[in-house]
Amino acid sequence: MSDADLEHIALLAEVDVLVGALGRWVDDCPSWNTARQCRALVKRLLARVETLRFRLETPLVVATYGGTGTGKSSLVNALVGREIAEVGRQRPTTTTPTLLIHPDIDQDSLGLDLNPFLIRTVEAPLLRDIVLVDCPDPDTSEAATAGSNLAMLRSIIPHCDVLLYVSTQQKYRNDRIVTELGDVASGCRLVFVQTHADSDTDIRDDWQRCLQPGFDVPEMYFVDSVRALAEQQEGRLPSGDFRSLLRMLSDQLGTSRRVEIRRANLIDLLHEALTRCRSTYDSALPAVTELQETLDQQRTQIRETLTTQLCDELLVNRNLWERRLLSAVTDAWGFSPFSAVLRFYNGLGAFIASLTFFRARTSAQMAIVGAVQGARWARSRAKAQEAEASLERVAAFGIRDQHLQESRMVVSGHLHSSGIDREEHDDRRDLTVLRKHAAGLEGEFLNDARRAIDEVIEELAERNCGWMTRTWYEVLFLSYMAFLLGRVGYNFFWSSFLGPVLGFTDNPEQLLKIEFYVPALLFLVIWSAVLVTSFTWKLRRGLVSRVRRFAESMAASRLVHGLFPSLETTCQAIQSDSDQLNELLQQTRTFRREIADDSSFLGSRRTDSLTEAGSAPRTETS
Amino acid sequence: MTAESDSSFQNLAAATRNLFASVRRLHDQSKILQPVPLEQHEWFESLRQKLIPQLGEDAWLVAAVVGGTNIGKSVTFNHLAGNQASATSPLASGTKHPVCLVPDRFAERHDLRQVFPDFRLHEWTEAASALQESDQHELYWRSTTQLPASLLVLDTPDIDSDARVNWVRADAVRRSADVLIAVLTQQKYNDAAVKEFFRKAATEDKAVMIVFNQCLLPDDEQYWPIWLSTFCQETGIQPVAVYLAPADRRAADSLELPFYERPWPLPDDWKAPPPDDKAYRRNLSDDLARLKFREVRVRTLKGSLRHLINRSDGVPAWLGRLSATSDELASASERLSSEAVLKIRDWPTPPNSSFVGEIRIWWKSRQQGWSRRINSVYDGIGTGITWPFRIARNALQGEPISAIDKYREREWSAVLTTVEELFDKLQWLAESGNRLVKPQIERVLKAKSRSELITSLKQRHQQIDFESELSDVVDEQMNAFREDSPDMFSFYRQLHNVSAAVRPVTSVVLFSLGFGPAGETVAPFVADAAASAVVHVVADVAGGATAAVAGEAAVSGAAGTGVGMLQAWFHRLHGAFTSRRVEWLTQLIRDELLGTLPEEFQTAASLKQSDAFREVERILDELRLLLDASPGTSGDAGTEEVNV
Repeated sequence: MSDADLEHIALLAEVDVLVGALGRWVDDCPSWNTARQCRALVKRLLARVETLRFRLETPLVVATYGGTGTGKSSLVNALVGREIAEVGRQRPTTTTPTLLIHPDIDQDSLGLDLNPFLIRTVEAPLLRDIVLVDCPDPDTSEAATAGSNLAMLRSIIPHCDVLLYVSTQQKYRNDRIVTELGDVASGCRLVFVQTHADSDTDIRDDWQRCLQPGFDVPEMYFVDSVRALAEQQEGRLPSGDFRSLLRMLSDQLGTSRRVEIRRANLIDLLHEALTRCRSTYDSALPAVTELQETLDQQRTQIRETLTTQLCDELLVNRNLWERRLLSAVTDAWGFSPFSAVLRFYNGLGAFIASLTFFRARTSAQMAIVGAVQGARWARSRAKAQEAEASLERVAAFGIRDQHLQESRMVVSGHLHSSGIDREEHDDRRDLTVLRKHAAGLEGEFLNDARRAIDEVIEELAERNCGWMTRTWYEVLFLSYMAFLLGRVGYNFFWSSFLGPVLGFTDNPEQLLKIEFYVPALLFLVIWSAVLVTSFTWKLRRGLVSRVRRFAESMAASRLVHGLFPSLETTCQAIQSDSDQLNELLQQTRTFRREIADDSSFLGSRRTDSLTEAGSAPRTETS
Repeated sequence: MTAESDSSFQNLAAATRNLFASVRRLHDQSKILQPVPLEQHEWFESLRQKLIPQLGEDAWLVAAVVGGTNIGKSVTFNHLAGNQASATSPLASGTKHPVCLVPDRFAERHDLRQVFPDFRLHEWTEAASALQESDQHELYWRSTTQLPASLLVLDTPDIDSDARVNWVRADAVRRSADVLIAVLTQQKYNDAAVKEFFRKAATEDKAVMIVFNQCLLPDDEQYWPIWLSTFCQETGIQPVAVYLAPADRRAADSLELPFYERPWPLPDDWKAPPPDDKAYRRNLSDDLARLKFREVRVRTLKGSLRHLINRSDGVPAWLGRLSATSDELASASERLSSEAVLKIRDWPTPPNSSFVGEIRIWWKSRQQGWSRRINSVYDGIGTGITWPFRIARNALQGEPISAIDKYREREWSAVLTTVEELFDKLQWLAESGNRLVKPQIERVLKAKSRSELITSLKQRHQQIDFESELSDVVDEQMNAFREDSPDMFSFYRQLHNVSAAVRPVTSVVLFSLGFGPAGETVAPFVADAAASAVVHVVADVAGGATAAVAGEAAVSGAAGTGVGMLQAWFHRLHGAFTSRRVEWLTQLIRDELLGTLPEEFQTAASLKQSDAFREVERILDELRLLLDASPGTSGDAGTEEVNV
């Protein structure tokens, strides 16, 4: 296998890869109108690409294209060197397309429907490699009605690989011809020929200027077909531009160039389709982006609402804070007299609070109560009840139905203008789904909040129970206990018993009575209460500022989902779909640029602003 | 031509001017039917560019050289002018603007701007200016003494190049023209664009002189009759003269191109003369000057008029299409509006306590003398006694949300639901509506308009002072009640009983398209408003439908007494308040969202009954009569009218 063959196969493989990628892109379609439209276009194109690939190596089909009376048939005759196509001065002369083919070429191998053609086998040297088609004109029919020249032309051109665009001084700016060419010429190489060199002025520069915006025009030929035919019939070589045209056709369209030209056509087709998709996307994408922005905005808004509400409620529920703080502290201290007091106080509080627990439904309370107790609380309720309660909580927690309704309305407006499919289950009257999403949002938010609150509590507890504080409170508490024990012990052991017995005191003191113990206990309680209060007060110091800081951190955090999670997913899918399209387009563009100079002799339609400067003509290939 | 026919032309001129005005008015009214712009109708343009400026004026003749690009129009024109008045160029689409030769002192007697209404006029200075590209339609005119006193000759841009603006200019010139000098070549005589252009000329009954340029003589002598018969067959043109010009660039450049006349239709014994036979050589401008101006002019004016009232592509066809579209819209709207009725079943009602409070206040303000004093004393005592309880409650439960605030909340929900329903209905309309309804509604449905509407609704809703709304309603209704009924005091006494028994269910019906109620929808309530209003509101206040109906009767009948009557009256209070609120909403929706869309729909759907439509029909009939009555109407203003 030669290097050229290998290279050839590699090129084909590259095309396959591109077509494959395109096929995958077509199959993976987000539920978006624009995407579907574009895919329908590309799908049709892929079918055409398939037939092109099938005939990749058959002889090139070269067709004439141009206004009536511009000398298409004369040119064809001159090209094959004999009078095959009918030439006339009545318009239109050619009404049936004539297909000129070399007897050596198998007609079936062309892969064309030959029915509309008048087939002439001609043994001309030029026809060894190509098939010539003399087409009817596009400009005598006012509309493409069935059987008209225009309709016929439109059915033929897609099967052609190269168009010989023939024009004259009178016709080169004809609107119909230029417009029609723009429509049909994608996927064709072009050769520009001005005829009637015997009588007309050379207008190629102006012609080129007119074509420049839409076409790549590397070279134009100014020929006199009648003379060229006569010269050939006299056995001479044609002179002037005609010779170079003939030479170019036989050189550039030979066997070795077939695949390159067809591939270039194919890439052009793909490129044009993708460019069109791109521009469709570009015009439709802003609406999707707007929808995304709206969704983001709503997410931010919800988070702010939740944060504000949480912050307010956290500050209201002081005793819950207190209990959490206290238990954190007692856990840290382990056993000691004062911590026992604290624990007792906390236990008493918890007992009372447990009654309120069952009424404690606000999310903030849940958050402060913490994961462990929250779970216990949750378990204590039936699942159905919990679901109901969580929905209720949403309403109580700042996300009200009105809010949901507003969001839904705004979003549905954006949905409508962006052309994204509405979800099937989207019942417009029912807020349940939205409420569920809102509850989910809130749950997510509260989970974050809970974690953050745990941190806050730990931090507050740590800050307020250093060993100094601890010692200080223990000492204060113990000093009363010591006094009490000392007083009782002194009375019991000494002043009522040992003192009199040993004769240190004359009259023994009476044992302390209830009159003493009641006030003593009372004072114990009061003293403990004073200590506990002062301690909790100390614990709660800085709570407000801490909670505010906490709220700020919550506001800065990001909610993962919004109220419309599936919509968000769709939007993301659309954006990534658009990126994918870009990638495909880029790939095609690169590909196109790589092979651009391979067909520099031939013009083509521009499919975007990308300019392909015609490089110096290559002399020989193979 | 007689004085009689002159006056008939004056009548025709007046009628066409009327027609012009009323057609434009009708077009403005039918905007929502998305009619094709008037300027795209051939008849309208010929009305504007030919009939309005030329009808009823003294006779002058406009001759224009027309044809495809690069076939020698300017060369032909220069031969007519006798000098290089129009620049020639080997490149296609050279002439961008018309050049006009005007007879000496013509410009003093006539306003050229009215003759060529679409062009900016410039006096000719050099031939090249017509080659300059510009977006404006320019026309360069030049006085000449060589032309007959009332003949204007124009060179026009091409009719087939990719510079489409040239077509527009050529079309404008064609319509003003009476005589067309058609330049054809063998390459172009059968081109679609060329045929299309001359077909229009044929329907306007222009006099056409044909010049086959760039002929290869004598070879083409055998072909031109074939070309010409194809051309005539395809376009319907009957040429008044036919010339052949040889392909001779040098002669063309030096203004010495010969024009050989040929007879048409060809006589049976026709034999082509030898090339350059002087007997057939003609001077084009002499031939032009010999045309019977008056006849040609009458013929083309009538041609344009006939085209105007032509049933297949004139004003009647336009009217027919308009009325068909209008009918289409009407039937679509009817079908849609029966589906698009919007019902809100549970519009919130303000709490009875608020009403009771307002009524008390109203009552108090109307009491005089000692009874007023006694009342205020009791009120003072009552407030004093309940004060500590209120304080305690506020301390325990926080300040209670006032009933009015609760109502505001509930009403906002209802507003939201209504708006959402409305959008749903509109969307449904857009989806199932036809091509006329859809784009109008789509415009309303844009995402931006939705969020804007909600924002503005919300803002305004927050600003509403419900207290004063309530007191306005109470004031108005109580005054009416006091006049109606002597039973005021018993009402006041039983205020609590009465209000406790009233549980109103208010439903609201909006007709989103403004086509009124369809069939059975709550007919009695809308009867008065249905005919004209945009979005109708029905406040169907009922504590059970029968109660409401009986109540209405009870309230209006003077004999009605007792609690039932008072309750019915209380219902009415609720109803009045609700309709006030819904009216507020409706007005806002109208101001902020729908605009005049519903009215536009209605106007467009009943276009056939509109004055403008009838006026156009009337003028058309008048024109038809006038045209039939005027002499020489038969269409055969053929070759015999031309002096050769």
